[in-house]
Amino acid sequence: MSKAKKILSSKPLIMMVWFLVLVVLWEIGASNMEKTKRTPENILPHVSQIVGSVTDGKLVSNNMTATQIVLKSAGATLERALIGFLFGSVFGFLMALLMKLSNLVEKTIFPYLMLIQMIPIIGMAPIILAITHDIGTSRIVIAAILTFYPVATNTLAGLNSVSKEKYELMYSYAANKWTIYKKVLIPSCIPYFFTGLKISAPMAITASILVDTLQGDGGLGCMLSQSLKHAMSIYVFWQIVFFSAIIGILSSVLMGFIEKLVSPQMRQFRQSRKHRSKA
Amino acid sequence: MSEMLKEEWKKEIEIKIDDVCMSFKDNSGNDVQALNHINLAIHKGEFISLLGPSGCGKTTLLRTIADLLEPTTGKVRISGMTPKEIRLQQKFGIVFQSPVLFEWRTVKKNVELPLEIMYWSKEERSKQADKMLELVGLTKFADHYPKQLSGGMQQRVGIARAFGIKPNILLMDEPFSALDEFTKEKLHDDLLKMWRETNKTVIFVTHNIQEAVYLSDKVCVLSPHPGRLSAVVDIDLERPRNIRMKESQHFTDLVAKVRNSFEGGSL
Repeated sequence: MSKAKKILSSKPLIMMVWFLVLVVLWEIGASNMEKTKRTPENILPHVSQIVGSVTDGKLVSNNMTATQIVLKSAGATLERALIGFLFGSVFGFLMALLMKLSNLVEKTIFPYLMLIQMIPIIGMAPIILAITHDIGTSRIVIAAILTFYPVATNTLAGLNSVSKEKYELMYSYAANKWTIYKKVLIPSCIPYFFTGLKISAPMAITASILVDTLQGDGGLGCMLSQSLKHAMSIYVFWQIVFFSAIIGILSSVLMGFIEKLVSPQMRQFRQSRKHRSKA
Repeated sequence: MSEMLKEEWKKEIEIKIDDVCMSFKDNSGNDVQALNHINLAIHKGEFISLLGPSGCGKTTLLRTIADLLEPTTGKVRISGMTPKEIRLQQKFGIVFQSPVLFEWRTVKKNVELPLEIMYWSKEERSKQADKMLELVGLTKFADHYPKQLSGGMQQRVGIARAFGIKPNILLMDEPFSALDEFTKEKLHDDLLKMWRETNKTVIFVTHNIQEAVYLSDKVCVLSPHPGRLSAVVDIDLERPRNIRMKESQHFTDLVAKVRNSFEGGSL
């Protein structure tokens, strides 16, 4: 690969380009909106206005600045999302193991698991809220349900990815079932499990925000709808939108980071990069 | 010396394949005879090749010895026991065409894996793995992961792992067929060296005539449709073998002899 090509295909550069393109498009939209004389900051404020409002010390509601409101609401939302995410991923992992262990379970449960995924959370959330009577618990349950499916399916795919030869090798060592799970199946499914986590982490956060909108107890979603209804500060709305997007992306990146920490296969890539740079 | 050893081998038959037939049903429900009345005796410490074109049942025969398949009729006996009993005693070392390494384990940990299953102590495992890796010349790569190695090196790890468990019988299913010619020749000599030092019985499946002749004491020629044993050719090349022998007239004659023993003439 030529040097220019290498630089062009580097990940940070591609990300930078995407970021710049988005900002430019946004600004073109915002400038056009300004010309229409409709309250522009409601619909599409300039990026500088949004960024400016983050550091702005102006009190917008309950003696708090916009940024303080966002961070305070984020606490409740993220905490519940995290608890739900943990429950959902543990349960999803165990379910995948159970489906692998028993053909009967796989045949009877797996095809119908998809149904959970097909019910829209907007519809499911009020029902869960009605059942649990508690917005915090609902956030956890919905986040767990959404996390469960991608984790379970990806982990099962990982368990099913083990080659016939690996089984035959273990068979020739007269290894028992427990040993095969411990030494082959579970290590094999770890990268797939993390793929599931990377998909579901942002989903758990989105779900938690969505549940917030149902009842006013100060989560991000709650503030989102309030800031639209009451003109407390439109920048609260935009800050939440951007903040949610950023933590969604970060949650997925975080999963990738944890994967690198725990799985030796990933360590190998760091090592091989080191070797290559030496050569 | 090699003559004396050979006499000794003749004394003890280790594997006896007794009138083994194997038939499968194909997709349209017809019976396919994969193996047709195979009789073969393999002596202790011998290097045997099962040679033939695809579809001749050479891998099927290997799998019946390894207890990965049960023959339809006939029986296989190893030191008087069934393949299953031998497998449960963990006396088989198997090498497949692909290296079948565990990606999340280092090279050394891959060699140690079967030893863990066999409850060797940590120190013994580590010592044995180091010894095996030295034999295949991979000591420097002990802490690498499989993906960092070339195909030939990966297959070496597989061989080190198979020898590491101190098996009575080593079963190799076309282990070098995916490798380039240079790597293959190097691995041939490495394999022969390990075989000489450990004196295992080796059953080596291949479709490469030169490879079979170069490595083996005996080449069992199998012909397809139905899979049957056409001939057993004794390879009386001197041991230890070296690459120069491939240029000798005797080697060429043996290759021709093996080729001509395929039923229906040369392929």
